[in-house]
Amino acid sequence: MKRNLMLFFMAVLVVAVAITGCGEKKDSNVIKIGVFEPITGANAAGGQLEVEGIKLANKLYPEVLGKKVELVIADNKSDKVEAATAAARLVEKEKVTAIIGSWGSSLSMAAGDIVKKGKVPTVGASCTNPLVTKGNEYYFRVCFIDPFQGTVMANYAFNKLNAKKAAIVQEVSNDYAVGLANYFTENFKKLTGDPNCVVAVANYNTGDQDFSAQLTNIKSKNPDVIFAPGNFTESALLISQARKLGITCPIIGGDTWETQEFLDIGKKAVEGVVFSTFFASETPITNESKTFLEEYRKEYKKEPAAVAALGYDAYILILDAIKRAGTTDTVKIREELAKTTNFEGAAGFISLDENGDAVKDAVIKHVKDGKFTYLDTIKP
Amino acid sequence: MRRNTILTAIALLLLIGFLAFADNFFDLYLVRILNLCAIYAILGLSMNLINGFTGLFSLGHAGFMAVGAYVTALLTIPPDVKKQIFYMTPIMSPLDVMNLPFPLALLVGGLLTAFVAYLIGAPALKLKGDYLAIATLGFGEIIRVIFTNTQSITNGALGLKGIPNTTNLWWSFGTALFTLVVIASLIRSSYGRALMAIREDEVAAESMGIHLAKHKNLSFIIGAFFAGIGGGLLGNLLGTIDPKMFTFTLTFNILLIIVLGGMGSLSGSVISAFVVTIANEWLRFLDEQINLGFMVIQGKVGTRMVVFSVLLMVVVLFYRNGLMGNRELTWDQLCNSKIWRGLSARKRGTAIAEGGEK
Repeated sequence: MKRNLMLFFMAVLVVAVAITGCGEKKDSNVIKIGVFEPITGANAAGGQLEVEGIKLANKLYPEVLGKKVELVIADNKSDKVEAATAAARLVEKEKVTAIIGSWGSSLSMAAGDIVKKGKVPTVGASCTNPLVTKGNEYYFRVCFIDPFQGTVMANYAFNKLNAKKAAIVQEVSNDYAVGLANYFTENFKKLTGDPNCVVAVANYNTGDQDFSAQLTNIKSKNPDVIFAPGNFTESALLISQARKLGITCPIIGGDTWETQEFLDIGKKAVEGVVFSTFFASETPITNESKTFLEEYRKEYKKEPAAVAALGYDAYILILDAIKRAGTTDTVKIREELAKTTNFEGAAGFISLDENGDAVKDAVIKHVKDGKFTYLDTIKP
Repeated sequence: MRRNTILTAIALLLLIGFLAFADNFFDLYLVRILNLCAIYAILGLSMNLINGFTGLFSLGHAGFMAVGAYVTALLTIPPDVKKQIFYMTPIMSPLDVMNLPFPLALLVGGLLTAFVAYLIGAPALKLKGDYLAIATLGFGEIIRVIFTNTQSITNGALGLKGIPNTTNLWWSFGTALFTLVVIASLIRSSYGRALMAIREDEVAAESMGIHLAKHKNLSFIIGAFFAGIGGGLLGNLLGTIDPKMFTFTLTFNILLIIVLGGMGSLSGSVISAFVVTIANEWLRFLDEQINLGFMVIQGKVGTRMVVFSVLLMVVVLFYRNGLMGNRELTWDQLCNSKIWRGLSARKRGTAIAEGGEK
């Protein structure tokens, strides 16, 4: 029995090696773009949305410089070690011209050194941690970074809500939430001129279910507004618990809230909450947005998420840079990418600053009648 | 006996030759996979010492790795880079200028991890079986939560980046070899026999005069030391670490390696570290489109993980005790194996792994 099993394994091995062997043919008429996303594991939902956007862009713009563009998708399994290997595979084995990705800043950071060494320009779609692009001239991104979003919400709280005292509830194990909260605090202090304007800071961990301890403390401080950046599930629970405790002040947050689950869990309680995001499907910002919205609805029969639009933008930005460079030389493409100003993407006009971060408008949305509704656009 | 020494020397020379060749001619992707294999071998060996040889069902490996990785990283990141990455909460004062050469930092990382293991081990090792597993699992999570919240030391959830990549094939394989030699000699010494006696029957071992607490602690601390070093190497290879990396899934990855290789077999751990790492990466071809010559199969991304899981189940079903059980791969066994004899006597051969079973 065991011997047969062994033979069977050997046979599988031989066939598999043979298959992998003959699949590799070099084709100079193809430009390869690596897609480096979590397709399996904890971040799979976000990664797949981005891939949808990228695939749509590839379908609409399949060629550049008269060559066919081929997407090489590498799953990074939402795992940092795996992410580094996947990036190395794209750079060294697949020899891609450029890379898009990844959902999740920590995964993107794992690829940072590898793309820098391999000199492959990489465009992140929705990784918002400033450390991703800092000190890495080959990493760019089409989204704004956490500091900007924190600043936008501080402005909103101060100018539109007339808040003088704020409380912060942050998901402390999430780099994104910590970043937002930090910049919110900094700017809110500047705007109010009051160093004690943040009356309470409460932390929770990913996966927490009960927030009554933090909320009771906040209620006693009686803030004008609560800023609660964090994961959608926890945030929705937090908001409904806050309302049950009788906290009536406005609650504001960040782009991670924009998911159906947030509405499903929060139901009535999340009515009226305000958050900043990248993209609003009801008000197309550019001509490209219109094309994207139409095609996306046609292709996937649903409303696009912001990250899908960002994935789409990352792809067309790379294509544009290749066109401008007129060559597939990665160093030249990088130079062209760095020069990007006022590029028309589906999620707004993109200009890249000296760090390679996008400077673009933020969209403010709120929940109205159980739906995310556009409220305002804020210039950088 | 002399034959074995010669064979070992030849194998070592071959390994060195292979590493020199790989270092110069392999692309960075392959080198990275080899590095990972060696690092996982270190982690597997250290966990096998605790779980396989001493019979302590400990699940705190990710915690140990986190300590080693953070200490090594904080000691090797240059001060100006530190200033750049701690842009939110400035780093604590003695840490911001501290800088040690990589080997020294790695050693300090290992020693500190061992110290942490000593602190944890003293109370936790009083527990047995499942209870110990829960306590150590809790320890791993606690370490992660502490690292998330101490922003001025670890940069919290933002993580660290810019760790200079010093890890190369010589470092990873050298350390793996060192780990193998140290743990193998420990197992062969009277201490090692005592550990195995504890695994088989604690009461019997104690009645033979073995100091249970002392020996369990010894195994726990040495295992943790190498886990810390493995963590340090891993962080250094990646160039960036953050607390989310060290969740219990990491512990289970290593547990998978030692269970697949065989609890209580050093060579099993090494073989399975290589098999798991390489298979996991090599199966990627399933995610891409497969060209069979006469037809093209459009791959679905994610197939790899399904196939990998099925393969694991098959192996575990047919090899209850892992690939090697608790046997070791020795020269004697290799030379007497059925394959070798089969080749010379034209008998029917079976695999090396089954050498001593039938």
